[in-house]
Amino acid sequence: MKNKIFSFKVKKMSRSLSQNDRFMINLFKYGTSILLFLLSGSLLILMQGQNPLVAAQAIFKGAFGSKMAFGNTLRWTAPCIMTGAAAIVAFKAGVNNLGIAGQVTIGGFAAGIIGAFLNLPPVLHVLLIILVAGLFGIVWSIVPAVLRLFFNINEFITTLMLNYIADFLTQYLVQQILAGGLDSWGYVNMNATPTINESAVLPTLIPGTSATLAVPIAFFIAFAIAYLYKYTIQGYELKQVDENLKFAKAGGVRVVQRFIVIFLLSGLIAGMCGGIEVIGTYKKFNCNFAANMGWDGISIARIAELNPVGLVFVSFIWAALKAGAMQMERVIEVNRLTVQIVQYLFVLFVSIDYEGIYMRAKDRRMKKQYQKEHQKEAEERA
Amino acid sequence: MGMDDYVLQMRNIRKTFGSLVANDDVNLNVKRGSVHAIIGENGAGKSTLMNILTDIHKADSGDIILNGEKVVFKNSLDAARKGIGMIYQEFMLYPELSVFDNIILGFEEKKLGVLIDKAASRKKIEKICKDYSFNIPLKSLVKDLPVAMLQQVEIVKVLYRGADIIIMDEPTSVLTPQGIEGLFRAMRNLVASGKSIIFITHKLKEVLEIADAITVMRNGKVVAETTASDVDEQSLASMMVGRDVILQANKKDVEFGESVLSVKNLTVKDKDGITRVKGVDFEVRRGEIVGIAGVAGSGQQWIVEALFGLRKPEMGSAIYFEGSDITTATPRARRCMGIGYIPQDRLGAGANAKSSIWESAIMGYHIAHGFKGKVLLNFKQIEAFTNSIVKNFAVKRQKNTDKVRSLSGGNIQKLVVGREFLQDNKLLIIEDPTRGIDIGAIEFIWQKIVDLAASGVSVLLISHELNEVMQLSDTIKVVYSGELYDGGSHGELNEEELGLIMLGGKADEK
Repeated sequence: MKNKIFSFKVKKMSRSLSQNDRFMINLFKYGTSILLFLLSGSLLILMQGQNPLVAAQAIFKGAFGSKMAFGNTLRWTAPCIMTGAAAIVAFKAGVNNLGIAGQVTIGGFAAGIIGAFLNLPPVLHVLLIILVAGLFGIVWSIVPAVLRLFFNINEFITTLMLNYIADFLTQYLVQQILAGGLDSWGYVNMNATPTINESAVLPTLIPGTSATLAVPIAFFIAFAIAYLYKYTIQGYELKQVDENLKFAKAGGVRVVQRFIVIFLLSGLIAGMCGGIEVIGTYKKFNCNFAANMGWDGISIARIAELNPVGLVFVSFIWAALKAGAMQMERVIEVNRLTVQIVQYLFVLFVSIDYEGIYMRAKDRRMKKQYQKEHQKEAEERA
Repeated sequence: MGMDDYVLQMRNIRKTFGSLVANDDVNLNVKRGSVHAIIGENGAGKSTLMNILTDIHKADSGDIILNGEKVVFKNSLDAARKGIGMIYQEFMLYPELSVFDNIILGFEEKKLGVLIDKAASRKKIEKICKDYSFNIPLKSLVKDLPVAMLQQVEIVKVLYRGADIIIMDEPTSVLTPQGIEGLFRAMRNLVASGKSIIFITHKLKEVLEIADAITVMRNGKVVAETTASDVDEQSLASMMVGRDVILQANKKDVEFGESVLSVKNLTVKDKDGITRVKGVDFEVRRGEIVGIAGVAGSGQQWIVEALFGLRKPEMGSAIYFEGSDITTATPRARRCMGIGYIPQDRLGAGANAKSSIWESAIMGYHIAHGFKGKVLLNFKQIEAFTNSIVKNFAVKRQKNTDKVRSLSGGNIQKLVVGREFLQDNKLLIIEDPTRGIDIGAIEFIWQKIVDLAASGVSVLLISHELNEVMQLSDTIKVVYSGELYDGGSHGELNEEELGLIMLGGKADEK
């Protein structure tokens, strides 16, 4: 069930390494990555004629400088954790769900519609929206699951394509159906659903900031996933399905059922994330609002090495950079996309096979030493 | 005895991995033109020693003396150039290439420095084949050839590369009795024309038959250097293990009960639609051990997969367990009914190398005999069950949370066997339970199988090791080309007679 070439699974340590080696490799890995990250970032900022130190200061101020800034960081942490969680659930079980963006979009769309066109008591309205958004996410992940199970079509392709379908479908529905088509000038009338009702708005967490209840919900999801894998039979079975499918099958695990559960769970989290974003932050469904979100999740899951605890930390830093980048753009003349470029470069940097490099270097060192000793021996004898 | 007698000497080789001493002042003296056997249990240090000789590992200290001269290899290729050739247990051949291409790969004769001189290469290979009387089809693709032939290809390959000393790692494990005879003939030819062979094996009978000198290793040390004429199987085994070993299964007299597993007209096709099992019938009664012998690839794999629900049998097949039809039941359902399964590949279907010991220990148990709750893992129960396997099956491990990968092969096998044996199963399907594990562990597992049957559990034993089937089974079946032939009851037929059936002897009579 795993696609060898495109597997996004983090490569597990293939050898049994000593504790010391493991530590050195991790130090080497994150040290080098951060160094390269800072270096490439500085270079890009210098190229725009600005001082990298000033830019870094602006980013820090934008992320932690005030209550509002911190609220902004938290606000971005929530979707990062949720999409990251959706990615981790899938990748941990060997399912290549690249359709997180699409599932977020569909969930968000459902939230926008229910939020705007339904009148319900406040709490109930919010709960219903989150639930339905999650269900839409599930619907969007059933399609690739079915295609995979019954037609053996790799989910790598189907989920990716469904992203575009979600994107264009919602755009069509918003522009053509809700807004009644193009205006007489041939322009789009509306690129978003109407603003949602007051009752559907997700309450804020810290008044005066953009941090909403999405933050605790996201933390809860991260916690739930950690719990699932650590303490439940389901999680145990899922882990075995991923690590050794043959073993799980022979052990009597219902592999097909587990596979579907993973797909749906991943879709559920992504759909909920879309719904929560819409009713928490935007108060309406904007077309394309989820464009980067899916890939952020995948990147974060990758950096966190599919560890739910790591997910929370990485998401926080990721969000801080995001919030800070906007501030930076306001203060100095550096495009905020710079930060995004460097963020994705960082993902590349941590993906380098540091273990292999380290082991090869170690091997070479030992061989050299050995040869030197022999030479010395030979000279002494001569 | 002058030093000139030795083609290879390894002196005071020491190699440590962390705190583990894999080779502790090991000495090895190989005479020119002899078969030198190195025997020892798993983890005794044989592989490490050979890896040092082929320069995959560097020794911490010690010397390698080749033809009387001290050498230091630059790398594995250098070792090969200096005349050390290794034939691994798993063949290092490319299935899609021809035999010829496989042999010359990396060591092509060249024209003008860049072009392959096929004619010269061919001439060289043909000369080797003539000199050592090998007969291999150079043009055939490797994937089309039988295993015994591939082994010859491997031998020709190392000779082509100029090997003077040939290391063979467990070369007989893939061969039939007749194939082994062929290999031994080739080995005698090689030795007669001045080549030297280092022969690594678990099988003592073969050592006694073919080896001139024997080095016995235990726990990283050489414990004995002897010759085949001075020892017998029993004394060799004792040297290896460090205590007396019974190489016989102590079978007990068991009254067989009613039929537990009954298979009717089992037909299985593989994914390409080729019929691999052709209408097989057999039954296993309560307390009975039924053994299925056969050359690898005769259909055992498909029989087992169908029996355990991992592959769907064709229409018309029927499998009954205690009277109920389980032909289409899932593995999960079968486990719940009390069928246990010990797969052949312990790191494939048997255990998960990446998981911790407890995670591999509770697989199956957690469904069929396990937890009260349906949602949460019961860590108390997990600990208790894992510990009972560790205790009853003498699994050497440090903590239950260690990775399965950190265990030796024999210990992983004991873990898998223990997991299935300690569950409340009524039928056990056991595939090659002792493949590649040391003699102490084999003795142990055999005893457990016999005890299990005596306690009323039915056992279906599928093994490529003919001796194992003969020792353990009450009833012997032989599979050949997807069909099942009668191999008599315990002790009725001897090794040669069964070997003949394994090669289709009975099929020819038809």
